[in-house]
Amino acid sequence: MTTEEERDHKQPPSAVELGADERVYKVEMLARVEGEGRFWLRLDAAGEVADAKLAIFEAPRFFEAFLRGRDLEEVPDIVARICGICPVAYQMGAVRALERILGVDPPSPGIRSLRRLLYCGEWIESHVLHVFMLHAPDFLGYESAIEMAADHRARVEQGLRLKKVGNAIIEVLGGRAIHPVSPKVGGFSRTPTVAELAALRPRLEAALEEAEAVVEWSAGLPMPALELDYVFVSLASEDYPIEFGDEVLVRGRGRDERVDVDEFLDHFVEDHVAHSNALQCRLRDGTPYLVGPMARLNLFADRLHPRAARALERSGLALPVRNPYQSIIVRAVEVVHAFATALDIVTNYTRRVEPAFVELPPAGARAGRASGGTEAPRGLCWHRYETDAEGLIVDARIVPPTSQNQARIERDLVGLAPQLLAMDHGAATRRCEQLIRAYDPCISCATHFLKLEIERG
Amino acid sequence: MSARLTHDGFRRLLEQVREAGYALVGPTISDGAIVYGPIAGADDLPIGWTDEQAPGRYRLRERGDRAHFGYVLGPQGPRRQLTPPVETLVRIRLGPRREQGPRTPEGVEAADEDGEPLALIGLRACELAAMAVQDAVWTGGPFVDPRYARRRERALIIAVDCLEPGELCFCVSTNTGPGVEAGASFDLRLTELGEEFLVEVGSERGQALIDGLGELAEPSTAQLFAARTQGVLAAAMELHGRERQLDLDGLPELLFANLDHPRWDELAARCLSCGSCTLVCPTCFCHRVEERAPLDAPTSERVRHWDSCFTDEHSRIHGAQFRPQIRERYRQWMTHKLGAWVSQFGTSGCVGCGRCIAWCPVGIDITEEVAAIRAAPVAPDDAEPVALPPATTVPALAGDPMHPQLARVVSVREELREVVTLAVEPVGVFSHAPGQFNMLGLPDVGEVPISISGQAGGELLHTIRAVGAASRALVALEAGDRLTLRGPFGSAWPLAELRGHNVVVIAGGLGLAPLRGALREMVAHPERYPSVRLLYGARSPEELLFADEILSWDRSIRFAPTTAPAVLESGHVKVHVTVDGAAPGWTGHVGVVTKLMRRKPLSAHARYLVCGPEIMIRFVLRELETIGVAQDQVWLSMERNMKCAVGMCGRCQYGPHFICKDGPVFRWDAIAGLLGREGF
Amino acid sequence: MAARPRLGVFKLASCDGCQLTLLDLEDELLAIAAAVDIVHFPEASSDMDPHGRFDLTLVEGSVSTPAQLDELRAIRAQSRTLVAIGACATAGGVQALRNFADHREYVRAVYATPAYIETLAQVTPIAAHVRVDFELRGCPIDKGQLLELISATLVGRRPDIADESVCMACKRAGQVCVTVAHGQPCLGPVTHAGCGALCPRFSRGCFGCYGPRERANTEALADHMQAEGVSAASLVRRFRLFTGWSEAFRAESERHDD
Repeated sequence: MTTEEERDHKQPPSAVELGADERVYKVEMLARVEGEGRFWLRLDAAGEVADAKLAIFEAPRFFEAFLRGRDLEEVPDIVARICGICPVAYQMGAVRALERILGVDPPSPGIRSLRRLLYCGEWIESHVLHVFMLHAPDFLGYESAIEMAADHRARVEQGLRLKKVGNAIIEVLGGRAIHPVSPKVGGFSRTPTVAELAALRPRLEAALEEAEAVVEWSAGLPMPALELDYVFVSLASEDYPIEFGDEVLVRGRGRDERVDVDEFLDHFVEDHVAHSNALQCRLRDGTPYLVGPMARLNLFADRLHPRAARALERSGLALPVRNPYQSIIVRAVEVVHAFATALDIVTNYTRRVEPAFVELPPAGARAGRASGGTEAPRGLCWHRYETDAEGLIVDARIVPPTSQNQARIERDLVGLAPQLLAMDHGAATRRCEQLIRAYDPCISCATHFLKLEIERG
Repeated sequence: MSARLTHDGFRRLLEQVREAGYALVGPTISDGAIVYGPIAGADDLPIGWTDEQAPGRYRLRERGDRAHFGYVLGPQGPRRQLTPPVETLVRIRLGPRREQGPRTPEGVEAADEDGEPLALIGLRACELAAMAVQDAVWTGGPFVDPRYARRRERALIIAVDCLEPGELCFCVSTNTGPGVEAGASFDLRLTELGEEFLVEVGSERGQALIDGLGELAEPSTAQLFAARTQGVLAAAMELHGRERQLDLDGLPELLFANLDHPRWDELAARCLSCGSCTLVCPTCFCHRVEERAPLDAPTSERVRHWDSCFTDEHSRIHGAQFRPQIRERYRQWMTHKLGAWVSQFGTSGCVGCGRCIAWCPVGIDITEEVAAIRAAPVAPDDAEPVALPPATTVPALAGDPMHPQLARVVSVREELREVVTLAVEPVGVFSHAPGQFNMLGLPDVGEVPISISGQAGGELLHTIRAVGAASRALVALEAGDRLTLRGPFGSAWPLAELRGHNVVVIAGGLGLAPLRGALREMVAHPERYPSVRLLYGARSPEELLFADEILSWDRSIRFAPTTAPAVLESGHVKVHVTVDGAAPGWTGHVGVVTKLMRRKPLSAHARYLVCGPEIMIRFVLRELETIGVAQDQVWLSMERNMKCAVGMCGRCQYGPHFICKDGPVFRWDAIAGLLGREGF
Repeated sequence: MAARPRLGVFKLASCDGCQLTLLDLEDELLAIAAAVDIVHFPEASSDMDPHGRFDLTLVEGSVSTPAQLDELRAIRAQSRTLVAIGACATAGGVQALRNFADHREYVRAVYATPAYIETLAQVTPIAAHVRVDFELRGCPIDKGQLLELISATLVGRRPDIADESVCMACKRAGQVCVTVAHGQPCLGPVTHAGCGALCPRFSRGCFGCYGPRERANTEALADHMQAEGVSAASLVRRFRLFTGWSEAFRAESERHDD
């Protein structure tokens, strides 16, 4: 239960609390983000930041609690429900960790490649949704993409068209775009026929060309100026990181550090703070860090698909990107990467991947503990499971990208504050909101990992 | 003519069929079963595979030889190809979206898309028998479904004898196999004997194909014939020796006499009512008709798709669900399949293929269930026997019965609160008999059956109460609007038979509407109908339908609150009115219509027409029984979930009847055994 | 032309997937936006008006906090037609699994930092609290059904969404039954259709994400599954998933849970 005192932590300061000459920028209900949150930024009379909060009031759902006691083979279905926007990310993180427990990681090159394809579909769907429907209206001065369509119908239609192709990839592989049903520990319940994937090819080719043009368009959007100093964190892989990788690269404060995914919690700590229903993640020394498209691109631009690398070059975006508003361009570049990667996989799919899944060790031999990381559209998503011999979950930990970015978003607001003083209040508030949206925060994801401990009473 | 083919000859035969412009549909392995699907040629056949079947279980197994047709039956027969699970019937061009309510139609187009004709390869004797049953459903009655007829007529059929019957087969019981008999409908019949085929020609098309093979079609031999005869005989003998049999003898009567058998309850505990049995059955034909009118699309589509008597919606009409329980649904299926079917189509609906046993997720075996009832029948003493009438014939309607015309609303008359009479002008000459109904519809909301409540010149009258979305939309139409109309459908009041008799018409509420045409006829012809009495009950004085017109028939009657309810004998028509309840001031009768019946001298020799809510009908009949009126003197109008109106969608079944085709007007004795019985 | 019908989209405890389905109607979204006035849809628009009247309200998510309960009652009062969308709103969703812990009285929930969050003792579907005009099932809902719901509401009819088993859709699709042909346990016979028999089409048994259909004979199915070797513990888990708090599935899971 909640005390009155606590309840205040999730509310912005009220007018009576404000001192003379203090000002506060706030939005009670963030729009065009997934889930429910608000923010406030309070400046004192001297213009110094007194308080910067991203408050998450989305109701927690306690996934880690009810994962306990479930069969490991049920986990991909269950964790998908953490997030309707990025279910594949959760499924892929879970299968990685569980397959590492079971010693079938990766099940086969074919399965790994189809997983990457599936994940590309989700990157496209999620990024395009964000670029066109959630973020672009901020740059162009609209309340929504639907309103934007009155003046920019072709642009909105382009977004819907590209998003649809992303969804189509997921649908072909997994049956439906939201909570696909085929991913399973050990592979897929069913792999696509050659003809099914081939049917995607012309659509991917057309979409790839459009996506390249979208990069240029995004680079031409009116861009607020802001340069901040970040610690960038991303999964590291031999390729541009998506669905695979056993190390986490941390770059900042003048050095690189590599962290084994199994040792993630030795380097990153999660805290429950009063103003948020999401756990906040920081480096062990308390430094906020950044995960997501900007971190990935800054760390691994050299591993982009050539088509995406060319699009990046044409955009004129200078690396490393330190302006969070430019993440819209970075996402557009990643959309090109995802389309190009998907097209390569589809083009090279000349034989149906069989078997669709590998046999798992029998019940009785399924005990273990392992971690798995993947790069969700919004950044590193880390899972760790412990199973008993029968394959039932004993313990589950999941660290989603938005809870990692939460502290960083608040730090960004602090960094933005000096600019705001010169702006009118409404414009300044919108600028703050646009900054938060640049993270594409997925609040629904972030809140679902509070611990629920069951005690015998 | 017959021939002998090697595997090469057979391969070439299929190539030739392909070259002749047919799309090959044959058995092929997909998802762990042998299913009928598009094939490119002989290589796609399940060569060397067979199936093993048990209740609720199906598995593929390799045979170790090169048999092309060495399996028994896949999950679904060619029904899938001949009546696709989802099929567009017509497309309706839409008017602009309106502020409220559905759009109106501006044109109707047939949706037939003639693809390549199908070559159906590998059909077994039971499947040909099932096809014959489907022929009767779709083309054998007064109405013909042109889509089925066309596909069926164009299809080339290559049948195969069964020499190795499956574990669940009982075609010998149903006399539908295992051999494909000479009279069956096929173009070619194959008998697979070791590494070769004996081919029998069944049509000119088949002959041409064999001729086209040239030397590849070798002359058949006496040995091959003998081998076939022996093989078929051996298969039949084997089936005869099995425990699994279905004794069809007297089965319809047995089942309808055992509608309250405890076995139905016992079955309901096991049955999932998932509908799987009905959708794997090769003879089931129930379907829904759905309106698909997506936002801002220029046309809407009337689509039919497979339905099942195991679904909730199948027997639901606005506000009532006639088969809520699983026991009633299973009983409906079985009494229809094995009982009513015989009177409807002249044949059992079961062809002994065993699919419903194999593909039931919990392995319910229809033959076992029948045997259990047969072993211990319990006909309740007080049960009226359910009459199984011969299939009725209604006047045929030329053309596609599902293709509506666009009719125009000429006028709208408000009768009561939420009740209007639409005067509708159809295209062309339209003749109907009182008691029949039309399907009226709008593209966004679909169709509803509405009785014809009269005809005035070229205008058809339809009296409609706004109860569901479709009727609400119809009630909201205005003069000049257009709507879709199909009809007339169904049986009529027996006006010819009533001539010279005293006629008593008993109506409740809106039940007067279907009777009005008949009443008008009788009012206008005293020379034919010497005495006509109308007993009419409504909920309240405000709910009396056609009050002015009723007054005009019998000048003696006054049911206005101020007038005494004296009934004076005047003319040949007498009208008695009662209401369930009334405000003070009403001086007419109060009470239900049966109470009114008791107050009036009613003759045991008159003829009676009854229409109203079903509960009223039942009470009226009870009253008539007391008076001593014989069942063949009474006609009544029934209502169920009518969708197609031509006896094809199966949803308005009432025991052995289709209400839409055999009714809605029935003589009492035809349905006496069913009235008031739950689940029908 | 009269004012367009006003559409509101609200969320309670959920994953956002069902409201995302509206944005996934890529081909129809702009037509929908032309036909209805989307006055409150925070996931898509910062132009929010949660206080007006709604002709059609879509509510995603289940009730898990006191604040959500208050919000839901307010939404109901403002709505002409209120539609619960998705497994959370219609059956409690995955988060209702914690009810089973509460349900067994010997356990008590304790949060890591309990002072920071408030929750209700049970997670419940919205029909447990307010009148619901229609329930659109599924985890997530199907976009074709969502479109049908909106189209039907615009012309004042009930959506043509059949309450029938998944088997019906499976058979119409010509899909080979995974139970009969492969021995896979499948909840299709007792589960509400709407997904297009997705799982069987992807070679796996249905896991009931659309919840129970009418007349769901779960007992007969469970008994049969048990006879085929599915353990009681596995039966409990199967019925206790995204729609596990629905009456039929809950009763069935409790029958096997000792």
